[in-house]
Amino acid sequence: MNRWRRSVGEIQARRRQVGECERAQAALSKVTACFQQMATCLGSNTDGSTLREELEETRTLAHRICTGLHKRLLALLVETEQCQEDREQVERLWVLFLSSMESFQQDLKKVHALQELFPLTIRKDRRALVNTGVTAGGSEVAARAATVQTPWLTVEEEQCPALKTHMEQIDALLQEMLQRVNVPLWSVEPTHEAWGDGNEEALEDDETLEEMMEVEVVSQDNGTSGCCHHPNCRLGCILCLLN
Amino acid sequence: MTIRTLRDHGQHYRPRMACLNKAEALVVEMQDQKNGVKASEQKLNVTTIPHVMSGQDILAWIANHMKVDTQEAQVIGTMLVAYGYIYPLQDHKKLVLKPDGSLYRFQTPYFWPKQKWKPEDTDYAIYLAKRNIRKKGALDVYEQEEYNKLHKWMNHKWDFIVMQAKEQYKAGKERKKADRVVLDCQERAYWIVNRPPPRTHSALDYGIDRLIDPNADEVKKKTLDYYRRIIIFTQQAIMRSRVKSSVSLGAIVKYVTTFKNHDPFLAPCLPSNPWQTDDDTYWELNMRNVEVPTKMRVERWSFSFFELLSDPRGRADFKVFLKKEFSGENLAFWEAAEEMKWGTAASMSEKAENIFKTFLAPGAPRWINIDGRTMGLTVKGLEHPHRYVLDAAQTHIFMLMKKDTFYRYLKSPVYKDIQKKAISPAPHNFSDAQLEQNAKNRKPGIDPIIIWQQEEEEKAKAAAAAGPIDIKKLMQNKLDRK
Repeated sequence: MNRWRRSVGEIQARRRQVGECERAQAALSKVTACFQQMATCLGSNTDGSTLREELEETRTLAHRICTGLHKRLLALLVETEQCQEDREQVERLWVLFLSSMESFQQDLKKVHALQELFPLTIRKDRRALVNTGVTAGGSEVAARAATVQTPWLTVEEEQCPALKTHMEQIDALLQEMLQRVNVPLWSVEPTHEAWGDGNEEALEDDETLEEMMEVEVVSQDNGTSGCCHHPNCRLGCILCLLN
Repeated sequence: MTIRTLRDHGQHYRPRMACLNKAEALVVEMQDQKNGVKASEQKLNVTTIPHVMSGQDILAWIANHMKVDTQEAQVIGTMLVAYGYIYPLQDHKKLVLKPDGSLYRFQTPYFWPKQKWKPEDTDYAIYLAKRNIRKKGALDVYEQEEYNKLHKWMNHKWDFIVMQAKEQYKAGKERKKADRVVLDCQERAYWIVNRPPPRTHSALDYGIDRLIDPNADEVKKKTLDYYRRIIIFTQQAIMRSRVKSSVSLGAIVKYVTTFKNHDPFLAPCLPSNPWQTDDDTYWELNMRNVEVPTKMRVERWSFSFFELLSDPRGRADFKVFLKKEFSGENLAFWEAAEEMKWGTAASMSEKAENIFKTFLAPGAPRWINIDGRTMGLTVKGLEHPHRYVLDAAQTHIFMLMKKDTFYRYLKSPVYKDIQKKAISPAPHNFSDAQLEQNAKNRKPGIDPIIIWQQEEEEKAKAAAAAGPIDIKKLMQNKLDRK
């Protein structure tokens, strides 16, 4: 079909769909990142039924975004219209979706194993939780994840499966994705640079965080071993004196 | 992209790591409120962080709980730190358990080492990107190199990596400051264990990947094919030749008693084990073409003829002895057969001809004395030469040399002379500072190509010297001088 023959409406609709997918990918990134951050607390002293519930909710949300995004991307790719500019962008989105699904799958497996390793319910089997030093739960992270919304307007009614089924579903999904659509993975060009992305949001907050991690060396009362051998000891000594 | 797409029959699986489960059980026991390790608080500039332990407390607990002495507890503790179950707060790159007041914390189970999951490059890239985003220039040199490499390999995923790093960073910022410090320390410790900085060893190093997945079920269905394979396997097992266990155990005992002083694990290596002290005198003294060998090496030659021949210095010595006895053709034939075995396929027929002309033909210049049957077989085989055509003759010659010449060699003045000349280096005794110095001064040894070239030159010289001497030329030189 001749490109010029396509109506403006069609082109606009397609562009809108692609934009929707981009936003969905960003949302998926956000949700999976929050999921990962919460998963790092599993098994530690902050672990509890609240954390597990929050993980479940985040997983449900991720599932919803995933299924929707998968459907839409598949539809976009399988269309017979092979217009150039769009194709690259859609392929890029496809590869990003694939990568984020793989990473999410890893996290799901780890969460599953950790939840089995540290069962909270049964008194007998309960293993002591590891004291890692974290004091607060991950509620703030969960709240952040909950603020993410699916960018499409229609709400699809689909039940979120249990963890195990979800993992198997994703396995099958990934296999299918690799075999069904012929997208060469290596041909995708990234839009971000290697070292370019910096601190647009850099606050003084971050500086003190780095320093805090180094100060650990000299936060002792005796401070014999800390001060002189550590390369940042100048900083440490000053703070030591201030203490 | 990932292992999923690899469908070859190569090795992709990590081996069983049963020690990890045991270490986990130990770490969980340490958490106990009453009987666990004593924990205190760490005071930082603005906040305090709980659940911090000192090295000596951990050590004391391990020694008490497992009922071992301090040295063994030290080793166990260092193992826990090296695997990443406990991480040090000071000097975070050196993964040892210091038996003093240095501080340690437990690692969260998400970052525990597991046999099933390899730490992925994608996650490492996300971690490095996160650190770069947080503070530009925070990466060490080796980390920067890795970052560049990952950027090249995973170029197609780079958007995902940067997006994920940014989102994880923002999600992390939601937490309290003290928690952020702890979580950052945890992640940093995880990657120090799994992507060790240069010149350090990783405790999780397991060599090469394995062919079979240890987590896979053994047998899914007992099909006809399975039973067929089991039958063949058992039939072959029955057909194997057997040795009485008393005989084989006797052989092992004999081997161990002979070699136990030469094993670097059982006896201290003189002067010092280069792997432990970073001082390569031991290797320098035991090179292939060294003038004066060490006493241990010379002693080893007397254990068996095979040892003598496998050591290049020993073989050279044996050659000198044979030259005195004018019976060098046996060894020359043996060496020629070795060259044929290990040589290139293209040179096979040429070598076969040379060997026949020099050693086997009736009236050859260096005719070897093997029995008629072997000679017949070898000559027939040489018509269509292949790598192992001289195997029978070589074995025969080897046995001849072993039963006769070897014992004469051991009693000869050549051997006794070299025994007297052999040196016995004094053991090194390095202090800690010297060990650090040695580690810094490591340099690569001589390139093996250079050694090979030197050997080729010597061989050429020896071949020229062994050729028939031209009397005329020799006399001419002498006449000229007059």
